[in-house]
Amino acid sequence: MRQDQIDGGARRAVFSPVDNRARVDTVVRRLGDAIELGLLADGEQLPGESELAGQLGVSTVTLREALMALRQRGLLITRRGRGGGSFVSLPELPAEERLRTRLRGWSTEELRDLGDHWAALSGAAARLAVQRTEPEDLSQLRRTADELIRAEGAAACCRLYGRFHVELAAAAQSARLTREQLALQGEVGALLCLVLADDSCREEVADRQRGLISAVQDGDHATAGTLAERCVREPVARLVAVRLAL
Amino acid sequence: MGVSPGLTAPGTETERWVAAQVGGALEAVFAEVAATRADTTALLARVSAQGRPAVSADLAALRPALHQRLSEEELVSGAGFVAAPGLLADVPAWLEWWQCGTEGVVRPLLLDLDPGRSAYSDYTHWDWFALPRRTGRRAVAGPYVDYLCSDEYSLTLSEPVYVRGEFAGVAAADVYLRHFEAAVLPLLRRLARPAHLVNARGRVAASADPAHLAGSLTRGPDFGGLLLGQDRIGAHGSLRLVPCRGVPLVLVLA
Repeated sequence: MRQDQIDGGARRAVFSPVDNRARVDTVVRRLGDAIELGLLADGEQLPGESELAGQLGVSTVTLREALMALRQRGLLITRRGRGGGSFVSLPELPAEERLRTRLRGWSTEELRDLGDHWAALSGAAARLAVQRTEPEDLSQLRRTADELIRAEGAAACCRLYGRFHVELAAAAQSARLTREQLALQGEVGALLCLVLADDSCREEVADRQRGLISAVQDGDHATAGTLAERCVREPVARLVAVRLAL
Repeated sequence: MGVSPGLTAPGTETERWVAAQVGGALEAVFAEVAATRADTTALLARVSAQGRPAVSADLAALRPALHQRLSEEELVSGAGFVAAPGLLADVPAWLEWWQCGTEGVVRPLLLDLDPGRSAYSDYTHWDWFALPRRTGRRAVAGPYVDYLCSDEYSLTLSEPVYVRGEFAGVAAADVYLRHFEAAVLPLLRRLARPAHLVNARGRVAASADPAHLAGSLTRGPDFGGLLLGQDRIGAHGSLRLVPCRGVPLVLVLA
């Protein structure tokens, strides 16, 4: 008997779809976040299943599982027949209450790990940006930091907080770090609304951002990296505290 | 574009030839941008002659030509027209933008341009939009990470579009840096000294010199000033600096 026949079952497992559950979860979080953040409006119709699956780069089977989960959470409703499809449906609960419900789905260990991952990305991006950025390149980061201070509402704040980190990764001239940032924010994004709504958190973040921009401009690697990490760690620590109080 | 001076011939002639070839590669892309600009100008003029403001649906007429350009010009991975905010009557802002997807499928870029929902709705500060608007001339933006459209490290070549003398937006094309490198690396390797290409700010766009990789900054020389000069070869310490005629890139020889 040949080795590959003995191991037939194991071999089949090797070539089975990679991490389908994680893909479903990713799609659920992405669309769920978009609804929480108001990126998808109440009553808005989602594209057809095959189109949406194509855009998200997942199979229709994966997409259907994700849509099912979103329906169970009350974020989508499905109408059949002519003019039917999946529609965004905001539940009656206030946004903050829904986010708290979502936060319950995260363990503190997952949140801690998320903070580590995010801080590692942003810290590395800041250190590279110090080498690769000229004063003109900093204007986008400055604009975002200024807008964050003036932003009204937690969702706007959260979007600008995310944009700052994406711009930092772009300033590092790294497409990979930028894509990682976007993917990570797609996963967690809206949860930070829970802490950024608080003025003291927002001011703390803005203070770190201003310091970070100055450090990048002055070519100060160590300070830039540390401040970028604190930009992430401090809000995530607050989020862990909120989680523990639930 | 010129005759190859041979694989081993060192010296100024080879350097100028390589710089001209690099310029030629981007001129081919600019020719596509110019064609999009001409199509858009004609389209907007036609609409204007009907005595009505243009709407986003009018721009659909650009699609067949954009699709053809994307499939024919190897270096181009994204192409289209980006409207100046306020140009179109039905939407505040619009990108009629198409991209090469995997397996040669051409796909539209669908962006959320509602400022109430997207942090990336304002595109007017990006160099590919702001430079042609400010100077009235064509521009090469980047290298930069294009997190608005492709998430790729890119160059974007753009030209302003005018309707009755008013700025209406930009015609543009994206060149992914990895494709640009594939096109110019064989040229850079012909040179006897380690060579790389930088933009006006000294950012490396392609390199055959391991000490200067794409995305890093070559500090010291005033590349912007050199590009304003008349195609003159410059020097900075032991570096030789050869402008690529017609495009804002400088060939740097270590």
